[in-house]
Amino acid sequence: MTLTISAPPHIKQDTTFRKITWIKFLALLPVSLVSVYFFGLYALALILAGIGMAVVTEVVIQKAFKKEVTVTNGHAALIGLMVALLVPGEAPIWIPIVGAFFAVAIGKHAFGGIGSYIFNPVLVAWVFLQLAYWSAMHPASFPELGGISDLFLENGAGMLVGVSPIALAGGLYLILKRYVEWKIPLFYALTTLVLALLIGDKIGHVVTGAFIFGVLFLAIDSPSSPVTKNGRIIYGILCGLLTVIYGHFANYVFAVFYGIFLANCVASFIDNSTLPRSFGEESLLQRKYRLMMNKIPLEKLGVKIDD
Amino acid sequence: MTEINVMETIPEKMIIPLKQHNGDICEPLVSKGDVVKVGQKIGECPSDKCAAIHSSVCGEVVSVEESSHPSGNRINSVIIHPVEKTECESFIPFKDSGKEQLISAIKEAGIVENYGTPTQLVLNPPDCDIDTVLVNATASEWVGHSYETPLEYASQMLDSLRLLMEAAGASRGVIVLRNDDKDSIDAFDGLDYEGKTIMVAPLIGKRRVDYYFNDQDTDIIVVSQDKIYGKNIFEYFTYNVTGRKVPFRCTPASAGVAICGVKSAKAIHDLVNTGMPYIETVVTVSGQVNNPQHLLVKIGTPFRDVIEACGGYRGEPAKLISNGVITGVAQYEEEVPVTKMTTSIIVQGKDEVLKDISKECIHCARCVDVCPVDLIPNRIAALANQGRFDECKQMYVENCIECGRCSSVCPSKIHIMQLLQYSKEAIAKAYEDLSEKESSNLKSGCACGSE
Repeated sequence: MTLTISAPPHIKQDTTFRKITWIKFLALLPVSLVSVYFFGLYALALILAGIGMAVVTEVVIQKAFKKEVTVTNGHAALIGLMVALLVPGEAPIWIPIVGAFFAVAIGKHAFGGIGSYIFNPVLVAWVFLQLAYWSAMHPASFPELGGISDLFLENGAGMLVGVSPIALAGGLYLILKRYVEWKIPLFYALTTLVLALLIGDKIGHVVTGAFIFGVLFLAIDSPSSPVTKNGRIIYGILCGLLTVIYGHFANYVFAVFYGIFLANCVASFIDNSTLPRSFGEESLLQRKYRLMMNKIPLEKLGVKIDD
Repeated sequence: MTEINVMETIPEKMIIPLKQHNGDICEPLVSKGDVVKVGQKIGECPSDKCAAIHSSVCGEVVSVEESSHPSGNRINSVIIHPVEKTECESFIPFKDSGKEQLISAIKEAGIVENYGTPTQLVLNPPDCDIDTVLVNATASEWVGHSYETPLEYASQMLDSLRLLMEAAGASRGVIVLRNDDKDSIDAFDGLDYEGKTIMVAPLIGKRRVDYYFNDQDTDIIVVSQDKIYGKNIFEYFTYNVTGRKVPFRCTPASAGVAICGVKSAKAIHDLVNTGMPYIETVVTVSGQVNNPQHLLVKIGTPFRDVIEACGGYRGEPAKLISNGVITGVAQYEEEVPVTKMTTSIIVQGKDEVLKDISKECIHCARCVDVCPVDLIPNRIAALANQGRFDECKQMYVENCIECGRCSSVCPSKIHIMQLLQYSKEAIAKAYEDLSEKESSNLKSGCACGSE
C-alpha cells in the first residue's frame, strides 16, 4: 500500500482561479448574445476578434519569454471578451484587435502578469483606445433608462455592453456564490446612486449597462483592488465618488470606466493605510473614545457602571 | 450524546513511544524479555519537562528500538508483544491531600494535554502563579469519553475542574463550550452544583469571564463561544475568554491562565478516583473506513489495528492522517501508534488526495475574509517567501493560530499556513540568538516561565 504524505490542510475548497475566470466568462455570455441580436453578426465578429487576439497575444508572449503557457485558465479570453464588449457596435474590426493586444501585452504582461498588474488591463486598453482612436471609439448614442423595457433591451445603446442591463445579472450569481467578494460592488453602487440623487442627476442616466458592468465585473477585479476589509469599502466608495464627479459634468458611461481606472491608482495606497491592527488592541477611534470617557466623572454624576 | 465503542481486540504488537509529549524523552525502565503488566511504568522522567510512560497491556517486551511516531519522526519506543490475560498493577485511588501531592501524582501518571505539554507543567509552571483554569471543551475531541449520560459528563467535568483548580492553586475555573454544541450546553445548563445553579453564559463582544464571575458571584462558570481551532490557539483563546494578552512565544501561564483539555480533565478524574494512569484514549476514526466511530483504544495500538477494529478500509486508502484534516500530519506507514496526543485518525481515498500546484496570488482577499485573527495572510505569505521577516512581524504574524483556513480557501493553492509558520519560526530563532546586551531594548522572553 502506498500512502501519500503532504503538508496540511488535507482538504481544500475546490475553487480555483481557472474556475473563477471561466464562470465570469460564462456570466458575460448572455450580454454578448443580446448584443449580437441587437447589432447583428458584426458584433459577433468584434467579440471573436477580441478574444482571438487576446489569446494569441498571451501565447506569443509566454512562449517568447519562455514562461508556462497559461491560456487555459481563461484569463486572456476573459480580457479579450471584456475589451470587445467595451467598443461601439459600429467600430472598425481592428479596434478590438488593437485593444485586446494592448490589454494583454501592456496592461497585463508588462506589469508582471496575473496578480501583479496595478491597472485593470481591460480599462488600460479602453483608455488607450479612447485617447488614440477617439472618432472610432465614440459611440453613436448614449443610453438612457426610460422605462422597464429598457432594462431588457436598450435601444439607445452605443457600446456592446449597454444593450441589456438585465443580461449582466450573472454577476450577482458570482457574488452569491462567493466567487467574487461583495463589499466593493455594494458600496460602489450605493455611493453612486446616493450621490447622483443628492446632486440631482437623473437615475436613468446612471443605471446603464456600462454602470452595471463596471460594478459587477470591472471594480471587483481582484489584483487591482485592495484586500483589507476596510480598504475594500473605501475603494468602493471612492469608485462611486469618482464616477459621479466625472458623470455629473460629462456622461455616466465614460464616468464608470474612468472612475474605476483612477481608483485603481490608489488601491495599494488604500491597502497600506488600512492594515488591520493586532487583535485585542484598540483602534484609534476606540482609544479616543476611551480617553474622552475617562475625562467625564461619571461616578460623581451619579451614573452607575456595572462591569 | 455520541456513542463510544471500546476496542476489544488485542493487536499483535504494541508500540509505546517513550516520548508522547513536548519536552524531554523518557528513559526506558524495561529491556528485552521483561514481562510487563497493565499500568506498569516503563518510562521514567529524567527531568521536569516530561511525563512518565506506562504500559497499556500485559505482555513481553520484544525490543526497545526506534520506531515511527505520528509526528513523523522516529522515536525510541518500547515494543510489547501482548498476551490475552489482563493482569493489572494494583491501582490505588489517590487520597486527596493537597497541591504538591496532586501535581506529583499527575506527573507520575503521565497525563499530557492533547497539544503536547505535560499537564503538571500547565498547572504548575515554574515561577508562575495560575489564578484561572480553563477547560477547553470546544474542540472536537471531547466526545463524551464513555460517560453514560450527559448529566454524568457535566457533573464529572465540574468535579475534574475542581481538582484542576486545586492542583493549580487557582481560585477560579471556567469550562468553555462551543456555541453550536447543543448537547453539552443542555447538559450543563440548569445543573445544580455545590448548591448553585450553573448557567451557560455566551461570550459576546467585551463580555468575558470577568463579567460573568462578578455577575454570577461564583468561582466556577461555564461559558460558550465560537469554535476556535488551530495548532497554536492559546494566545487567541486566552484573550478571547479572559481578555488577557499573552506575549509571543510564551505560554498562557505568563498571563496566569492554565488551559486544559477534556481528555486530561477526565484522566485526572480517573487518577484520583481509581488511581489509573493515562493509558487509554478516545480516538475518532473517520473517512474511508467501513465503520467510522469513536473508539476507546489503548495507547500504543498501531493505526492498522485501530482501522481493522473499525471494519477495515473502504476501497484503496491513499492518505492516513492523524489529528484532523486541517492541521493534521499525514502518515507514511500504518505501523504508527496511537499516542497521548492522538485525537483522530482520518483515511482519505485516492480521489480525495490533493495534487495542486501553487500559482500566483491574485489578491482575491478570501484569506483575509476567513482569518479569525484579522491578519492579511496573502501579504504576510509573500513577505515570508522573500525572507522579509521583520515586516511579517510588523504585520502581527505572531498572532496566527495556524488554523489553516487561509490555505484551504486559496484559489491559487498557495501554502499560506506553512509560509506563516516559517516566518514565525524564523522570528523566534532571531530572538533566541540575541545576546543579553542586545536584547535589553527589545521586549523578548516571557515575564514568568516559558515552556
